[in-house]
Parts: sequence; structure tokens; C-alpha cells
Amino acid sequence: MVAALKLVGVRKSFDGFVALDDAEFEARAGEVHALLGENGAGKSSLMNVAAGLYTPEAGQIFVNGEEVVLTGPRDATACRIGMVHQEFKLVRPFTVVENVLLANWRGRFAPGVREIERQIEKQAAELGFEIDPRSRIDELSIAERQRVEIIKVLLAGARILILDEPTAVLTDEEAVRLLTTVRALAAGGAAVVLVTHKLGEVTAFTDRVTVMRNGRAVALLDSRATDAAELTRLAVGTTVASPRRASSPPGEPRLTVKSLQATRADGHVTVNDASFYVRAGEIYGIAGVGGNGQTELVEALTGVRAPLAGSIEIEGAGDATGASPERLRDLGIACIPADRFGYGIAGGLSVVDNFCVGHINEGTYGSWLRTNGSAMREATAEAVGEFDVQGVRALRQRAALLSGGNAQKLIIAREFTRNPKVIVAHSPSRGLDVRACAAVHERLLKARAGGAAILLISDDLDEVLNLSDRIGVMTRGRIAAEFEAPADRQAVGRVMVHHA
Amino acid sequence: MLNNTVSAATSTQAPLMKRTSHGWRLGRLNLALRQHMSPWLQALILACALVVGLGISAALLIAAGVKPSALFDEFIVENFSDPENLHSILFQAAPLIFVGVSAALAFRVRFWNLGIEGQMIWGGIAATAVSFYDIGPPVLRLPLMMLFAALAGMAWIIVPLWLRVRWRVNEIIVTLLLNYVAFNFLLHLLYGAWLDPKDNFPHSPQFRAFERLPELGFGISSALVLALIFTALSGWLVMFTRFGFYTKFVHDNDRMALAVGVPIGLVTLVSALFSGALSALAGFVIAAAQEGRLTQSYFEGYGFSGILIAFLARNNPIAAMVVAVLVAVLFVSGRSLQVFYQIPFAMVQLIQAIIVISVAASEFLMRHRVHWVR
Repeated sequence: MVAALKLVGVRKSFDGFVALDDAEFEARAGEVHALLGENGAGKSSLMNVAAGLYTPEAGQIFVNGEEVVLTGPRDATACRIGMVHQEFKLVRPFTVVENVLLANWRGRFAPGVREIERQIEKQAAELGFEIDPRSRIDELSIAERQRVEIIKVLLAGARILILDEPTAVLTDEEAVRLLTTVRALAAGGAAVVLVTHKLGEVTAFTDRVTVMRNGRAVALLDSRATDAAELTRLAVGTTVASPRRASSPPGEPRLTVKSLQATRADGHVTVNDASFYVRAGEIYGIAGVGGNGQTELVEALTGVRAPLAGSIEIEGAGDATGASPERLRDLGIACIPADRFGYGIAGGLSVVDNFCVGHINEGTYGSWLRTNGSAMREATAEAVGEFDVQGVRALRQRAALLSGGNAQKLIIAREFTRNPKVIVAHSPSRGLDVRACAAVHERLLKARAGGAAILLISDDLDEVLNLSDRIGVMTRGRIAAEFEAPADRQAVGRVMVHHA
Repeated sequence: MLNNTVSAATSTQAPLMKRTSHGWRLGRLNLALRQHMSPWLQALILACALVVGLGISAALLIAAGVKPSALFDEFIVENFSDPENLHSILFQAAPLIFVGVSAALAFRVRFWNLGIEGQMIWGGIAATAVSFYDIGPPVLRLPLMMLFAALAGMAWIIVPLWLRVRWRVNEIIVTLLLNYVAFNFLLHLLYGAWLDPKDNFPHSPQFRAFERLPELGFGISSALVLALIFTALSGWLVMFTRFGFYTKFVHDNDRMALAVGVPIGLVTLVSALFSGALSALAGFVIAAAQEGRLTQSYFEGYGFSGILIAFLARNNPIAAMVVAVLVAVLFVSGRSLQVFYQIPFAMVQLIQAIIVISVAASEFLMRHRVHWVR
């Protein structure tokens, strides 16, 4: 049987970072095919290649056995490939009809609107969706918007349907409903690709599964002949040996979080009743599937986002709920953000500026009237050496030119030279190679030995398991369970998946 | 049937623009983002852009009836050989320096102050009010006029500043529209309470001698000296103080700046207030040094010039001063072209715009690497 969609030897890199390396993929008509992998494994990149959004540097795309060259989403549509992106591509103030029309142009406007409206109603009835074609997108719920996206690509004639993490934004009930619809579409002869990192969906709703890791497809399995344990092993890979933790008795709680609530930018409550504490000299790891409130938790702890309710207490300073980032830093909080070029570094400014900004208010680099450039350069040179930041050709070089690992080391240098009392590290090794990753872990363990209280929040379960003294699993905005150090991987994984 | 669709897709004409891994492909031209560029090459590209801009401007002037030989005369020979002309240029430079530095300070923290003219109007009104109501002794009159002008400019920028910091209202719209409010209030005064009783023209009564900024000899006005002092002050502020250090972060990555403890609100506040005060001082120096009274059009064109100067100077106050002097040359030459060739003053603004567009376009070449694809 000829595969409906087949990708061979696809390679794609972004500014030196290789996202896809010789990736393979194939999906047949009539099946729901899961594409499974951790964050950053290359799932979305691969599907963006199939949807014509990314031009691969190497590799071939076959549709029904014929090689095609996609120069844009329009070509993909012509090949009857349709993709529903994680971030919906809908114009919010426009109506459903207008949005569908935008993607499926009909020769004349007014007749086109009527025609599309009829087609939307017909398609919606077939799928069992209830959608008023004349309602505006911003009046619709997230699940309804997703249905509009699906109708949009189906009306464009898609027979190869790619859904990128479709259930990440849905409630359990909505997710089951969507996946049932998806099964029906496959039964009707479409090839459906379901990009996901939820193991439960793979085993319950798909026919075959391709597992990706580090930009490659590592396995193609029959979904019914596998289980969660095998899929986890394939998606995560064999674990790298990590630095040993020396055992030492922890001290008093340094950071105490009680019943914290915080919202995402869109007003959605994502941190809901989170409570935990971190003691001096210990690493408290927070494991969990990304998007369960981790980002907002970090933002609340570093003062970037004011919490809705609950309290944050820091030893010796008392209640610090809702304090500004400046104040929290003065109290001894340091942060390694997950998005290092977004929140950790000002790419257009020099290495010196990026190092010194963290402690210039302490007066070490001259008074506020006169900053002392040579003191700044000396301190930076020393820190760059001590923290082994490589790739610094000149101290005045723009920080954006550093690789991810070296940018991370620069951030750690800035944050750790202040001897912080509490360190909040969010996915500190994301996207780093093995060596840089080990260097980051070594720094965290050194800070732990120095008596700092470290909160490690990571999507990478191994990172959490290897480094933490205690582990909390975050699902749906709260700590669903806690484990003591050596924690059973399977047990932690079960809480992550079953509550998610 | 499906096969037909597929082959149709592959045989479609190559699109004019095509997205590639790092940029856009335009026909056979490949564009990629640059990581780094040497300062020399940047200077060369900038110089080429200026030459292109000036070339287009010259062509327009010639098309408007200026003899090619006269162009060189008007812009170079006349301006720099005749001390009278040199004097007018330096005289003209003072308010341009103020607005240029004002815009530079605001733009450094990405506060898009398009209300320079409104702040100038308020600076002029406040200074004139001190004269009109005889506030303070004659010795302190000028400093008081200056102080009131600066405070009025700050007060006028507080509204958009507060709306932006508190409610995230776009300051571009607010500052721009407030210009009209300020202008209509100015007309209200000039056609009403402040109408000059001597000639019934819509301008304020003449300032007295001690209310006018004096000439210091050698063709230098005290307005220029004030402008240089404030430029030096601003230059020091942005280049050497901790505040200036923070403005770089607010400009480059404000999310990161916030997370790392930069007092973004305070830095934005101080920059914007300074900007408002400097714009208002431009209004003050025109009223107190050039016109000697409040007129109804003294601010015209300065808002745009201020933005242009800050843009060309890359928001550096010292560079803004240099660019302001060059724009003054354009202003003064434009006036003489107006007199001798009946060329409208709009031509001067057109030339400014052409130069800005050329330089802005050259920035594209600095950010992208362009090469032919074989």
C-alpha cells in the first residue's frame, strides 16, 4: 500500500541548531498516526515541513507515492495536506465564514460567502459539530475555534490532516470528543497525523505511532502492540550518567509557597492551589508535562506576574507575595528562565552589559551617577573564566552570538555570583548538548552544596529525577503528589500522565 | 485524479518571493539574516545611502527649476563662506538640537513621543505666561521662563505616559492627538486674551529685552549654548550613568529587563519626562531667541525633524546634535531657495523624508546578507 504522506531524509536547522536530522515519516490513508516525542524532539518542525511552511535543507516529500516540492502552504493545500496548528491561525474579529473563505477563496465574494456557509453547515453536520457560521471567532471557546480550523482544512479538500498537539488546550471531555471525531475521519479514508506527547492518547486512539527523539524518528510501532513503558523509553532515550549528589542534611525552609494561584496572559488560571516548600541545601524538583502552570509559577516566583491568591514566603524576609522583581532579587531570589534568549539575555547588548545588569544596583560598578566601565569589564572577564563561558571573542560582543549553552552559562554566572538564597531554575538544560547540560547540572549541585535552596522545574523527567532531593509532580496548576529522592520513575510518570 | 492535483502543484510557476530557511528568496536573489557586520562596512553603506538620498533630492530640486550650478552654491559655498549664513545656521540649530535630543531620549526607551510639537507649544505658552503676567524680578525672568517651559512640557507628556504605563494605551496616538489640543489652546490664547493690543495681530505682545535670550558675540546665541549644555547633560546621562545603562535594556529586551530587576517604569518615566522638558525648551528658545514673542506657527515641522534627527543619530544625544546642525543647513538653504526660486518650504520636508527613507532602506542591507543564487 502506498503511503498517503511520506517524508524521507528531512533535515532542517535554525541558525545552526539542528531541529531535524535525517527524519523519516509515513502515514497511510485510513489510519490515525501518532507522532510522539518530548518537547523539542522535532515533531512540529517535521509537520511544518509537510505543511509547506518550512523549506527543508535536504530530504524528499512524497504524496501518494509522487514526489512533490512544497514552496508554501498553498502548494500543500493543492496536495490535499491540511494542518491545524497549535496556535490557531484564525482572524479573531472575523466570522467563521470569513475565516474559512480566507483559506478557500471562491471566485466571487457574495456568492462565495453563501456557498461557503452552506458547505460549513454540511461539514459541521457530518462531523457532529454545532457551529454558527456567522459567529465571530472571538466569541467562540477554544474547542470551538479548533473545530473551525478542522472544518477550514477539510473544506480546502485535505485528505492528509495534521493536528499539532490538538488536545493540549482541551478539557478531558473535549479531548475524547475530538479524538473520536478524528477516528471517524480516518474511517472515512483520510490520513490523520496526531502530534502529541500524551501516551494515553497514543495507545487509546491511534493505529500506528512514530516516536521522535532529537530530530530523528527512532521507532515506528503498532500502537496496539506497545505500551506506555516502551513508548516512554523510546521517547526519552537512554539516560546520560549525571553528577552524583552528595548527601547532606537540608536546613530550614527558605521558600514557602502556599495555595498559590496565578493566571496566564489570557486570563486562564493555570497555577491553581500550588503549595510546597524548598529548604536550604536541597533541590526541590517539579516534574510535569509542559503547560501545566510551570511557566506562570516561575513568573509569580520571580515577580514578573502578580499572583491571584496565595502566598510566597522567603526565610528572613517574611511575606514576599506580589513583590517586584527588583525586590525579590534583593531578597536573594535568582532565576534561570526557560526561554533564555527571551527572558535571560538581551541579545543586542554586549556580554559585559548582560553580566553586569544583574548586580549593578549593588554599587559594585560605580555610583549611579558614574558607572565604572573597567570594573564591569574586569568582573565580567573573571566570571566568564570562572563559569567557563566559551565563544566570547570579545567582551563587547553581542550576547545573541553566544550558543545556547554558553548563553546559559553566562546567565548562571550572572545569577550565581550574587550568592543567592533561592534559585529558581526552569528547564535549565533545554536544548543543550550533553556537555553543556552536565556543566549546568554541576553548577546547580555546587550551589546546593553551598546551602542555596533550589527549585528545579523541568519538562525533562530525568533531569528532575537525577538532581532532586524531593520531587513534586505538577498537574493542572497544583502539586498533585510528592516523592522523596530516589523516586520510582514509573510512579512519577503515572502521576504526570494520569492527572494531566 | 489526485495525481493531477499533485502534478499541477509542482508545475505551478515559481513564486516571486519564497520563504527559505533564514530569509526570503526573491527570484534569484537570496537574502539571509546577518549575524555581524564590521563598523566600516556599516559606515560605507550609510554613506552610500546618504549619497543616493542627496542625489534624488538634487534631481528633484533641478526638476523644480533650480540650476545645477546653483545647488552647490546654495548648499555649500553660501552657507560656509558667508558669516551671516553661518550665523543663521547656528541660530536655527538650537531648537533642532533640543527636539532631536528630546526624541532620542524618548526613543531610547521605546516611548514613541510624537507629541514634540504639542510640548513645544506648551513650552512657548508657559514661557510667555511668565512674561505676560510679569512673574519674578527681571534678573530671574529668563531662568523662570525656562523653568516654567520645562515643567509645562513635562506636565503635557504625563498624560500619555500615565496612560501607557498604567493602562498600556499606545502613546503614539495619544501624543500625536494631544498636539491638536495644544495647538487649539494656543490659538485660543492668541486670538483671545493674549492678542497683541498694539497691532491686533494674533501673536502675544513683544517680550521685553530682559526676556529675550541674548547674543553672546561671534554670532553665537545663548540659545545654542543652552542647547549644547543640555546635549552634554543628556549625553552623560545615557552614556555614563546607571540610568543610561538601564535604558539600553529597556530598549533591547524589556521582558528580560523586567525579569532581571531593571526598574522599567522608573526608567521610562524619567526618559519621557526629560523628553517632554527638552521639547518644551525648544519652544522656549524659539520664542525667546528667534521670534521674541509667542506666534501661531513657531513649532511647525519640528516634530518630524526631531524624529528624523533621533533616527539618523541612532538615539545618541551627541550624534543628534551633529545631525541637527546638518538639518539646520537644510532649513536655512531651503529658506533661501524659497526666496530666490519660489520653491515651497514643503520641498525641505520632502528632502528630509527622502534622506530618512534612504537611510532606513540601507538598514535592510545592514541586517541582511544579499547574494545571488546560481
